This record gives sequence, structure tokens and C-alpha cells, in this order.
Amino acid sequence: MNIIGTSVPRKEAPNKVTGRARYTNDINVPGTFHAVMVPAHQAHAQIVSIDVDEAKKVPGVKAIITGDDVSILCGDVTEDRPPLAKDKVRYWGEPIALVVARNEAAARRAASLIKGRYKSLPVVNSIADALDKKAPLVHEKNGSYTVATPPVTPKKSSNIADEANVTKGDMDKAWKASDVKVKVHISLPQIDHAAMEPRIAKAEILADGRVLIHASTQAPFEVQKLLAKYFKLNPGQINVTAPLVGGAFGGKAGVQLEVLAYLASKAVDGQMVKIVNTREDDLATSPLGMGLEADIALGASKDGRIQAADMRFFMDIGAYTDSAPRIARAIAAQCTGPYAVANVHTDVYCVYTNHTYTTAWRGFGHMPMTFAVERAMDELAEALKMDPMDLRELNAIRPDDITPTKARLTRSNLGDLPKALTHMRQLIGWNGGRVEAVAEGKVRVQGVAAFWKTSSSPPNAVSGALITMNSDGSVNLSIGAVECGPGTKTTAAQILAEKLRIPLDRVFIHEDVNTQVDPEHWKTVASLSTYMVGRAVLDAANDLITQLMALAAAVLKCSPDDLDYGDEKIFVRDDPSIYLDFKDLALGYKYKEGDSIGGQLMGRGKFMIRHLNLLDQHTGHGRPGPAWTVGVQAVEVEYDQNTHQYRLLKAATVMDAGKVLNPAIASGQVMGGMNMGLGVASREGIFYDTEGRFLNHQFRLYKVMRMGEQPKQYLVEFIETPQVDSAYGARPIGEHAVLAIGAALANALSRAANVSLNTLPITPETIWRERRAH
Amino acid sequence: MLPFDIEYYRPDTIEEAVKLYRRLRENNQEPVFYGGGTELLTRARLQDVHYDAVIDLKNIPEVRIHGQKGDWLEFGAGLRLTDLADQNLWPLLTATADRIADHTTRGQITLGGNLLSTIPYREISLPFLLMDEAEALIATDNGIERRPMADLTSDSFIKPGEFLVSVRVNGGEAKGVAYRSHKMTRQDWIDYPLVTVAVIKRPDGSIRAAFSGWAGFPFVSSEVNRILSDTSRSPRRRAQQAVSHMPVKALEDLHGRREYREFVTEYTLAQILDELEDD
Amino acid sequence: MREFTQPEQVSLTINNEPRTVVAYPGETLLYTLRGDSLGLTGAKPGCENGDCGACTVLVDGVPVKSCLVLTAEVEDHHITTVEGLREAPIQKAFLDHMAFQCGYCTSGFLMLGHALSQHVDRADEGRRTEWLRSNICRCTSYQEIADAVTETCSSLE
Ligand SMILES: Cc1cc2nc3c(=O)[nH]c(=O)nc-3n(C[C@H](O)[C@H](O)[C@H](O)COP(=O)(O)OP(=O)(O)OC[C@H]3O[C@@H](n4cnc5c(N)ncnc54)[C@H](O)[C@@H]3O)c2cc1C
Ligand code: FES
Ligand code: FES
Repeated sequence: MNIIGTSVPRKEAPNKVTGRARYTNDINVPGTFHAVMVPAHQAHAQIVSIDVDEAKKVPGVKAIITGDDVSILCGDVTEDRPPLAKDKVRYWGEPIALVVARNEAAARRAASLIKGRYKSLPVVNSIADALDKKAPLVHEKNGSYTVATPPVTPKKSSNIADEANVTKGDMDKAWKASDVKVKVHISLPQIDHAAMEPRIAKAEILADGRVLIHASTQAPFEVQKLLAKYFKLNPGQINVTAPLVGGAFGGKAGVQLEVLAYLASKAVDGQMVKIVNTREDDLATSPLGMGLEADIALGASKDGRIQAADMRFFMDIGAYTDSAPRIARAIAAQCTGPYAVANVHTDVYCVYTNHTYTTAWRGFGHMPMTFAVERAMDELAEALKMDPMDLRELNAIRPDDITPTKARLTRSNLGDLPKALTHMRQLIGWNGGRVEAVAEGKVRVQGVAAFWKTSSSPPNAVSGALITMNSDGSVNLSIGAVECGPGTKTTAAQILAEKLRIPLDRVFIHEDVNTQVDPEHWKTVASLSTYMVGRAVLDAANDLITQLMALAAAVLKCSPDDLDYGDEKIFVRDDPSIYLDFKDLALGYKYKEGDSIGGQLMGRGKFMIRHLNLLDQHTGHGRPGPAWTVGVQAVEVEYDQNTHQYRLLKAATVMDAGKVLNPAIASGQVMGGMNMGLGVASREGIFYDTEGRFLNHQFRLYKVMRMGEQPKQYLVEFIETPQVDSAYGARPIGEHAVLAIGAALANALSRAANVSLNTLPITPETIWRERRAH
Repeated sequence: MLPFDIEYYRPDTIEEAVKLYRRLRENNQEPVFYGGGTELLTRARLQDVHYDAVIDLKNIPEVRIHGQKGDWLEFGAGLRLTDLADQNLWPLLTATADRIADHTTRGQITLGGNLLSTIPYREISLPFLLMDEAEALIATDNGIERRPMADLTSDSFIKPGEFLVSVRVNGGEAKGVAYRSHKMTRQDWIDYPLVTVAVIKRPDGSIRAAFSGWAGFPFVSSEVNRILSDTSRSPRRRAQQAVSHMPVKALEDLHGRREYREFVTEYTLAQILDELEDD
Repeated sequence: MREFTQPEQVSLTINNEPRTVVAYPGETLLYTLRGDSLGLTGAKPGCENGDCGACTVLVDGVPVKSCLVLTAEVEDHHITTVEGLREAPIQKAFLDHMAFQCGYCTSGFLMLGHALSQHVDRADEGRRTEWLRSNICRCTSYQEIADAVTETCSSLE
């Protein structure tokens, strides 16, 4: 079989081009109630009262819930977030009430009649505000909240929700000994995931006590667990269905609307209630991606070898913690970028502000972290008068090196960065980073940056696969990973088809996930699905093959060892003319006389990543993920020195994919990732005014890339250094193409404009401002 | 989806529309004239406007008028921005229209709706503001009244209960000029303007410029026009002068800071002047 | 004068089929299409603000953002939704070029591509880009979509 490595289309592709693909909001039960959130129009304020009287009078309104009606606090790490603001509002857009009505119009009308009365508090509107000694506290109770999943180290009476540190070697000594030193300060705004499908959840509480949730989520099993915990239910009572997801990018890994939908349903006797974000809600009320301020200092010897890295990262996590502590640890663990640095001291702080709270964003903190490190790398190259590509090659991390958290690297668990760099020189036609004049006032320049990333998953993350057989010998595959675009289901089906040596169209896979039917999969995040699901699928396939062999052996009166399989047959290895078809075994074997044995054959498979551990609280040492994907990205831009406008000519990625399972899907992922990363770098960012009001909560003002703004040319190349413990050697690649492309752009433009561009987004105004300040 | 109930009316004549408005008001209803609906629908969804009835003007023949009649180029208020571009009766108008919103939305936005929009930009007004002979035909209780387009942003231009039927310009004047229309944005092709500048060079060599995005309303300034027309100075110098003599301060918002708007306006004007010099 | 003051039966021609549906005067076309009675959920709400184009359908062959138009305005017009594309070349091109990932934006882009391919005179590259800029895709690089539309338009030339 050669299904692995071929560009088969997505399983659900025909449905997607005919409007038949159904997402959560496309599947509706008549009579469903609607819930609408009432957002606060204050960034930081005490709630004096919430007046719901007028709203209650709106015909069709069935229930109104405010923070006073809800006693739980949410958070997968620190439980600090009330589902509806209680006592205090901490960000503009935070929901202060929930209206449940017969229809959406009534709910919206009523929502607009609900007025909060507030006592304004000073707004913590930036990292600097938050760290000020006299800063108002976003959370007075910081440090006393219940911690659901340690580790987390909040600092009482401060806005620091958590701190993670990593030390390796002797930073101070190495710093003093360094010949060349650079320091950069990086400042990045919060950004949005901007998945095209707004977040949505539906809940229904049946008379028998079961809770049915339908949601656009990357984490149906997490929804199940958290709801069970918050509302003291039995997890088995809760059945979460995740249909096709219309883009996620980490933004649907958190649990927010599901809790509100449950509360809403409970308020109306368990009726089915739907809550669907408007685009405005999706931006301002649901979580964003973090902002970052960072101070990076790198010290190197004259020959360009990095000796010391001293780093402070301050994450603008917004008003609530969500997964920030995990992200902080991911940043700490990979803080040096893909370079071997013997002496490291890194502190990462999660800082509360009165901004919209944040959650995972494609790359789990690695994108902003990479931006900081890669800007510093280019500054170092400049200080050393070295070709930026050479500097990266010289310092590239290699097998037998150890990571900042002292995890040991091998040829299997680490991709081949030096090789990727070599390929990139070719691919983009690297010119050493020279600024080349092309016309009056116009220059052309290239920029490069490299990345690495591991999964930062909890050490006990699980995945599973179930295979059942149909009467014709075809198979059904059931997995717990959600389909949100990257072709997760298709890849799993490919792995199974390859293993069973059957055509792909003989594998059926349902596009949704149902927590009661499908085996648990931790979350569809961290680009891990291929690795984890892939291993579980192989395990299940082996189980099924064993059963097929055993049954066939009984029928054929031989030992399973004598048998082999292929072409949907089990046959005797040295005489293939003696065989049984899969279809004759699938539902048990029926002898001519009619008596039968076996029953339906089902393969079960499971997987858990081995040897992961939580980072040590003091040294930060530990093993944060199974393997590190590496890659290098570059851009070529044309820059107008007078207007500071620029055009993206080329964007290139070379990534070590281990093994490319589906070339077309893989390069689509990478091209899409570059586009997204370049969009972030060139135009995206949340604007808050001086009062902390969220100004751009529509696509009219939160700008993302559109057609024609993408680079003229995308260049994608994969190298394949297998990860031996992964299905067919494949490495995670889903998130990665966003990671360094923005840094590559900043590196190119910094050189073109001859200023340090250390803030995003880089608009012509950004460059103009930096040049004037210069 | 509108969160409140409305009534929808599509009158066939001007008279019907005017009367309908009056009748609805007498009923204590809050009617609005409805062009493309792109603004009325989106603002209603957010409940920052409220109305009980929409009077869709697009079926009234005079509102759909599009062509040359005698000396006049006539543009019905109900024409879509894409209609203007497709017929291309007045290339300057096409140039400005083609940079508003995105193509699909331009197929929905009407000339009248953009001219009378509550957003600050109203970019389609710029070409009209540059003409000596540009007037609006407005349906009032007393029949059609003609009002100069120069008054577009004044309160007296259109009063409650009145609606814009069409706009017309002198064809000779409109087509007898060299022109440029440049939309400058923060970064994106599809965006509100940082500044949109429409500039004409009249047969006598004088220059006029109209601006959207610079302030909370579109405008022309005779002082700025005088400066831009002073050919004794270089285009760059004139552009600099013009920017420092604008009648209002530049906006400072998320599209750009004040000084950056000035910078962009200046180089855009300079470039346009340069080009028009060669024309 | 058309007066439409409360919910009533509205006649629409959708995908070449006459349909009647009860609509409110203030209902957007997007809402009517997706409602229980028509169930045409191919057009997607992405912003209901005219910004994303996921809701794009054709009215008399011209792309329209269905969140920005009242159903009342399109009575007696021909509406084409993605469900009405029957083996249109643009669909195959989208499959061939893998011009989607999550698929949420796909119906809207298909409608733009289809409309372009119906009017070869409109379909030079600049024009194609200008039309396709009306919509947002967050997953792909746009290149895939551009390639699919280009191929469809040029194969018809
Ligand atoms: C995606 C998108 C992008 C946009 N980008 C831009 C942009 O780049 N530049 C820009 O300038 N604008 C832009 N706009 C805003 C746009 O200007 C307004 O939405 C549009 O001008 C309104 O036109 P309409 O025909 O849809 O008007 P409607 O929504 O129908 O009406 C708008 C206002 O005008 C009144 N009105 C309409 N017609 C008449 C008439 N004949 N007589 C009297 N009053 C009338 C209405 O009562 C209402 O108050 C954009 C809009 C969208 C949806
Ligand atoms: S939903 Fe209509 S344009 Fe976004
Ligand atoms: S494919 Fe997901 S938004 Fe376009």
C-alpha cells in the first residue's frame, strides 16, 4: 500500500464543496432556546447592581442569570474566572448576565435592556501598569484561588498570576565572559484566533439526568470533565458532541460557552439552549491570544557561539489565567529557540491586566517567544557582523545537546535544523541578508528565522482508537480527535488503511466526536493528534489483525503464525490460494453448515506519551514533550524607503516533518500557517483605548489577511528525519508554520529600514515611527 | 438578523415615499429611508440605531436614473457603487467608488446611502465636492428641491422626511478635468481610509482636493486648493503647505496617529501633484 | 407599493425552484435561507456585518452578502446558494487544489468563483482578486483558492 505519503483528499471534502458539511450551528432542533450574553462596558469596575427588570418584561424571555446566581469559578489551572462577572468586572466585554429566551431576537432585545451600575476602578491597561508597585489589583484574591492543575506560583497582592523559571549552567559568569552582547525589548499586542466559525455551544439536560452538549470545541473530553467537576455531575452523564469545527487555532481549546449553555439550560428546566457568539463576542468576550513584553539578552563569543541567554518574558494574559501557566512553562522550556546555549536564566511571568483573557493560540506561546528570540538573534548577527543564516547554523541545536530544561535530545526526538537551514539557502536563494536596491527608493531584502516546538502536553494525556468491521470487510474508525481543518480524521484513516493494506475508501470515519462513543483523546491541540492518534490507530489495527488471524487460523486449521494479510484477505503465507476474505470474518465466520464462530471483530487501541514530567518548580528541569519539531522560515520583501510600505514577495518554510503523510494537506497547512503568521506580523492586534475599551471587535477593524495580500510566492519544502516512535516516523507539523515567519519579516524589514522593529504589527506607520524616533 | 420588528415598504413613486414617511411619523413610528441597507442592518443588529419601518427607495425610477441628460450627468441615489463603476460614466467617480469597501459589498452599498452615511468617511462624496456644478435632487414635502452638493455635510442639506433622489454634475466640467483618487489605508486594501484624497486639475491649471478620513467628515478647503494651485512652488512644498493649512486637525485613531496621517497625506498629495504636472 | 408589515409568505426562487417561506419583514436573507423551513445552511454566518463573506450567495447571478440584504428585497429574484451548484467546475477545482481546510469559508468563496466563471469577460486576474478580496479565509494561504478560481475561469475561456 502506498497511502502514506500520497495527497489523498480530505475525507469530508465533497461535503465541504456542496454546503453539506455541517457545523454546530447548522444542526438545529426546532424549539431550541437562545441565550445571549450581556457584555460589560467597563474594563475594571465594581458591580453596584445589575438591573434586569426591563429585560424580564420582554415577551419570550424565560430566564436571566447574573453572577450572583452562580457560585462556581472556572479555570483549567487556576480557578479564578466566574462564568458571569461577580462583584467585579475585569475586562471590557466580560459577560455580566445571560438572557435565555424563546428566540434570538427576544434574547438580544432583552440583553440590550440590562444595565449594569458600576463603580469604576483604575484600569490595568498594560504590563507596565500591572507591574507598577502601586498597581490596582485585578484579583484581590490572587494566590488564594483553588489550583486545579499544579504547578502554578501566583504572587499574592500582585498582578502576577504565575511565574516559571528555568536555569541552566552559570548565566552570570557566562555573560561576563561573552565578547559580544545584545539586548532587545520586544512588545507584542494580544491577537485573536479569528476562526471563521464563531464559538458556539448548545446544552440540554434530559429528564434522565443526562446532559447533552453540542459545541464547536477542540476539547470535548475536557468539556465533559470540567462540567462534571463544576456541577458535581458524573462524567458519564455528560455527552459532548463536537461536529466539524470551522477553524480553531487554540481558541476552541478553552471551555467557556459550554458552561454558560449548561447554566442557561438549567434555568429553563433543561430545555435545549443555544449560545452562539456574534463576531463581536468572539473577539471581545471569548479568549484571545496573549500579548507579550520580553527582554532578551544574548552573549556570544567572538566566533558567534552563544554563551549566555538571559530572558524575561511578561505575558499579557488578560483578566483570567486559563491555560497561561502551561504556556508560560512551554515558553520557559523552549526559551532559547532551537539553539544550543549552555548558560540560561529565564523567567516567565503571567501578568493579569484588564484586557480580555487569553488562552492557547496556535503554537502555544511559541510564536511570540520565537519572535523575541529571533529578533535577538538577528541583532546578534548584526553585532557580530555575521550572516544571520550562518549564525543560526553555527548555534543550531543538535542530537546529544540538552534543552534549557535539560531534556536530552536524540536523532529521533529532534528534527534536523542544520539540514533545514541548508535547504533554505537554496529554496529562497539566500543572499546573505544584503539590502539590494531595485528601483528609485525601493529595496529588496530577505529575512530568516528558525523555530522549534514540542507539545507541552500533560504527562498523562491519552488517546485511543476503535475499529469495527462492516459485513463487507470494510472498517469504521472511531477516534476522539476533532476535525477543525488540518485533516486529522483523514490522516488517521490513511494510517489505518496503510496498516490494514486496504484502500482508503474502505475506511469509514465519522467527522464528529461524541464523548460517549469515541475513545478519549486529550485535546485536539499541540499538533499532537497525528502522533497520539496515529499510535492509537496502529495499536487498534494490530489488535484487529490479531483477531482476524486468530479467527482465520481456527477456520483454516493452522497457526496464526502461518498467516499473512493483504487485499482484504487473510491467507496462508506460503500458499496464498488458501485464504479467507475479510468480509467472511468481519461479523464472525459462518461454516457451510450454518454454525458460526467469532462475532463482530473490533480493534482497540490506545496510547499515552511516555517519560514526560512536569518541570521542577525551582530549576525548571524536566521533559516537556515527546519530540521537537524544527524548521526555518524566510521571507523576501520589497520595501519603499519613502512611504515605508512593503510587499511580500516570497515566504518560505523548510520543516523537518519526519515523514510527510499527506503532501498536499501538509503543504496546505504550512502555506496557511505562513499566511496567518504574516497576517499577525503585518496587521493584527487588539486595540484598547485609555479606558481599556476594546476598540476593534469586528473584522472591519481587526484586520486579517485577504486575497491579494499574501506573498506572491510560497515556497515549502519538507525534510524527513523520522521520529522513530511515531506512526511512520511523522512529526507534528500543524501549528508550526506560524512560529517564525513573523520574526523573519521583522528581521527583513529591520534591515531594509535600518531600524530595530521589535513591536508588532509592522505597519508602514510602525516603521515610520521607529525611524523618526531613531 | 434584526433584534426588533420592523415594517418594510417599497414605494414605486417619489410621492408615495414622501407621503408614507409622513404617515408613519403621524403614527408615531420611526421610519428610515433605506438604500443598500449595509449600514442600517449592521447598526440595527448591534442595536445602536432603532427604527420601526424601512422605506426601500430602490424601486422608484428616478432613484435608479443613470445617464447623461443634456449637460448633466445624472446619478440616482439608489445606484449601487458597482453600477457606477460598470457604466463608468464619470471616471473620477468610478475611481473613488472602486476603492470603497469590497467588491461584493459595493454591489450592495448605494450612492445615496454612502453620501448620507453616519460613518465619518462617505468617500463617494469626494468627486462631487470638487465640482462647481454639482447638485442634489431632494424629495421634500414641497416636491423636488435642488441643493448644492457643497452643502452635503451641513445640517440643512437634508431634513427628516426628505430623501435624496439623485445627484447630478455638469458633464463638461466633470469630464474636463485631469484627476486622481487615492485611498491610503493603515495597511490593508480593504479598510476604512487613513485618508482618501481626490484631486482634480481644472483646464485653467488650478487644483482642487477633497479629503475623507482626515477628519470626521469629508471636506474641501479653498485655502488648501489655493496652496495646491500655486505652481510657483514645487509639488512637495505645496503638499507640505497644504497639510499644515488644513481647516481641521487630522484625526488620531486606530487607523493612524495624527502625525502619521499628515505624513501620508503629504506624500500622497505630492505624488498626485507630480503626476498631474505631467498630465 | 410593496407593503410588508408582519410575518407573511414570501415567494423566492432558490436554486431554480420556486419556494415559499414565512418570513418577517426584518429578516435577512441569510436568516431565511438557514431557517428551519429552507434549511439551506451552506451559507454561513461569520460576522453578520458584511466583513467576511461566508454568507455570500448569488442574487440574479451577482454575489451578495446575504447578511446585508433583507429577504423582502429579493422576492421574485433568482437566488443561488452553494446547494444549487450541481457539479459546477468551481467545485471540482476547489477539490483539486484543496482550496479549503476547515471549510467554513468555502461556500462563500465558491459562490464568488462560480459567479466569476459565469462571466468570462469579468475574469481577468485583477478582477478575480478584487472579487475574492471580499471574503476572508483564516485557514488557507489564499493561493489555493486563487489557483482554483483561475483554473476554472481559464478553462472556460
Ligand atoms: C464591509 C463594509 C465595508 C465598508 N467600507 C467602507 C469604506 O471603505 N468607505 C466608506 O466610505 N464606507 C464603507 N462602508 C460603510 C458604508 O459607507 C455604509 O455602510 C454605506 O455607505 C451605506 O450605504 P447603503 O446604501 O447600504 O445605506 P443604508 O444602510 O441603506 O443607509 C445608510 C444611511 O443613509 C440613509 N439613506 C440611504 N439612502 C438614502 C437616500 N436616498 N436619501 C436619504 N437618506 C438615505 C439611511 O436612512 C441611513 O441613515 C463599508 C460598509 C461595509 C458593510
Ligand atoms: S456573515 Fe455576512 S459577511 Fe460575514
Ligand atoms: S478553510 Fe477555514 S476559513 Fe477558509
